[in-house]
Amino acid sequence: MNMQVYKSNTVRRLFLPVLLLLLIGACKKETEYIYEVDPVTSRKEDINKGILKSTVEFISIAYSDLFGETIPQNSLGRLTLLYLAFGDKFLIEDMLIKNMLNSPVVSLPDNQTMRSDIPLFVKNAYLKLFNREPNELESFTLQKYITEDSQITPELVYYSMMTSDEYRYY
Amino acid sequence: MNTDTTKIMSEYIPRRSFLKKTAMAAAGAFAVPYILPSGRLFAASGNRIANHVVFCLFAGGIRNIESVRKEKGNLMPGILNGGASVDPSIAAGMDALPAVPGSSLQSQGTLFQEFRYAAGPTGHFNGHSTAITGSYTLQDLSIKEPPKMPTVFEYYRKHSDPVFSPANAWWVANTLGPYPSLNYSTYPGYGALYGANYIQPSTLFTEDGLSALANPRVFSSAEGEKITKLKQLFNNSFNLNTADNAGSIRNYASESDQIQAFLKQQLLNAQAGQYNNPWGAGSSMNGDMYNVFFAEKIIEEFKPELLVVNMQGVDVCHSNFTEYCNNLRKADFAVAHLWQTIQNTPGMANDTILIVAPEHGRNLEPNTIIDPYGQAAIDHTSDATSREIFCLVVGPPGKVVQGQNITQVTGESIDIVPTIAHVLGFRDSIPQGLLEGRILNESFI
Repeated sequence: MNMQVYKSNTVRRLFLPVLLLLLIGACKKETEYIYEVDPVTSRKEDINKGILKSTVEFISIAYSDLFGETIPQNSLGRLTLLYLAFGDKFLIEDMLIKNMLNSPVVSLPDNQTMRSDIPLFVKNAYLKLFNREPNELESFTLQKYITEDSQITPELVYYSMMTSDEYRYY
Repeated sequence: MNTDTTKIMSEYIPRRSFLKKTAMAAAGAFAVPYILPSGRLFAASGNRIANHVVFCLFAGGIRNIESVRKEKGNLMPGILNGGASVDPSIAAGMDALPAVPGSSLQSQGTLFQEFRYAAGPTGHFNGHSTAITGSYTLQDLSIKEPPKMPTVFEYYRKHSDPVFSPANAWWVANTLGPYPSLNYSTYPGYGALYGANYIQPSTLFTEDGLSALANPRVFSSAEGEKITKLKQLFNNSFNLNTADNAGSIRNYASESDQIQAFLKQQLLNAQAGQYNNPWGAGSSMNGDMYNVFFAEKIIEEFKPELLVVNMQGVDVCHSNFTEYCNNLRKADFAVAHLWQTIQNTPGMANDTILIVAPEHGRNLEPNTIIDPYGQAAIDHTSDATSREIFCLVVGPPGKVVQGQNITQVTGESIDIVPTIAHVLGFRDSIPQGLLEGRILNESFI
């Protein structure tokens, strides 16, 4: 058998196995790529808020938080003037919020709902009023307060949050 | 955070429960009379002339021609001596007023007949700013911003020891507009932390005020304790910007309750019609008189050591000269009534210095507007006459020279703040260079 014939027979013998190996190696399940938008939390994660709410912002947001609707424009105008007519903004905000809380149409969670799921109430209160989730210490402490004192109501929690320093900022 | 800030901020976090506070209110007022309402822990030291100053900005632009020189008769019988009747050319345009209470204020103090608003534009906000800061405003002022130099309220609160609460310093303004921003300045080291309680009564004590403020949720003492605990949780987590005092003056917790109760009571009294004709002046009662009326309510309730109140009804002179004279008479009546109230208020009586001065005058020459009585209206555009004003310092005999009338050109607007500082004993504590004016020593014995 001369060399050329030998080489030709060797190639023929190896061709199919190599071809099979290549075919097996090339067979992969096609990767399916799914393109979507990653969820991004738009709220501030920390509690370092530096922008003081303006008069209009404070009144509008407080009204929405307590009544669940946008404040009518003429009401906003009247309340803005009252707000401007006294220099201690903490005091006038306190009076405005107390007055709103005493309205028969104020919209707050009821006590039963709060106590049926205190962790959820705490989380939702922070999200609604402070526009962020509570950190672990805040969540633990507030839950503890509510759990240990049956006289703490959603109204007291909301009032305390809405007259706290953080509520005046965003 | 400096020491002053620490002292003040410590008051914002309630340390006492509401139960304890109730007990203290019952017993403490007698045991420690100098903690509330003055904020002092000890009796006033000997370097004060009096423990209270009321500064009435007799503002709106008043000419010496119609005031102290009485060219239209004595339009200010409450302030000025003399019984000259109102000039016939305008008499028919004068509203009836009750008899002025008491003797003239001029007889009870020292009148600087030729005082000067010596520099700066003769604009109302410029004039108010100068009178309240003790500094002329030589550039155009932004009416949307606080003044650049400290106000008398900040000087008083920062340079008194201990630092006084805002309940001891009040700014009662007759209108909104730019005047709320005279509460405190943007000067470094001063600001909202030392500002006064600003109030604009004619906006607050209205139907809108009644519906928005007079029906609050009232918390029980037990609820109050829970609220205190909850707020401590929320506030301790938050890094409050103490550099600007969160953009507002802040009353101490103990006094905030008192002020809220006061505001609510005024609203309810107004609703009940108690303020429809409080001085027996009937339909003659104007906005100026009501502004002073509510300043009197603040005096009676809080007995503040420093109160500034203004009136500006005379500015109608831009279009009606006779009505300007009419409002001048009403402003005069209001000041006389104010002094009567001060002298009838225990804690203020015979221990108060009243300073009365316009912020600026008006032009010598009239404009072209003629009123129904044939009188020409007058503007104020910085001519020499618009810088001529008067200043009256009233006080108890033994402290203020009585019946003194200084007719030479003496004193200027920037002297009022140093004089107030001198009366209340903190002049020497104000850093050098901030106040260019002098103390009106001629007034005092």
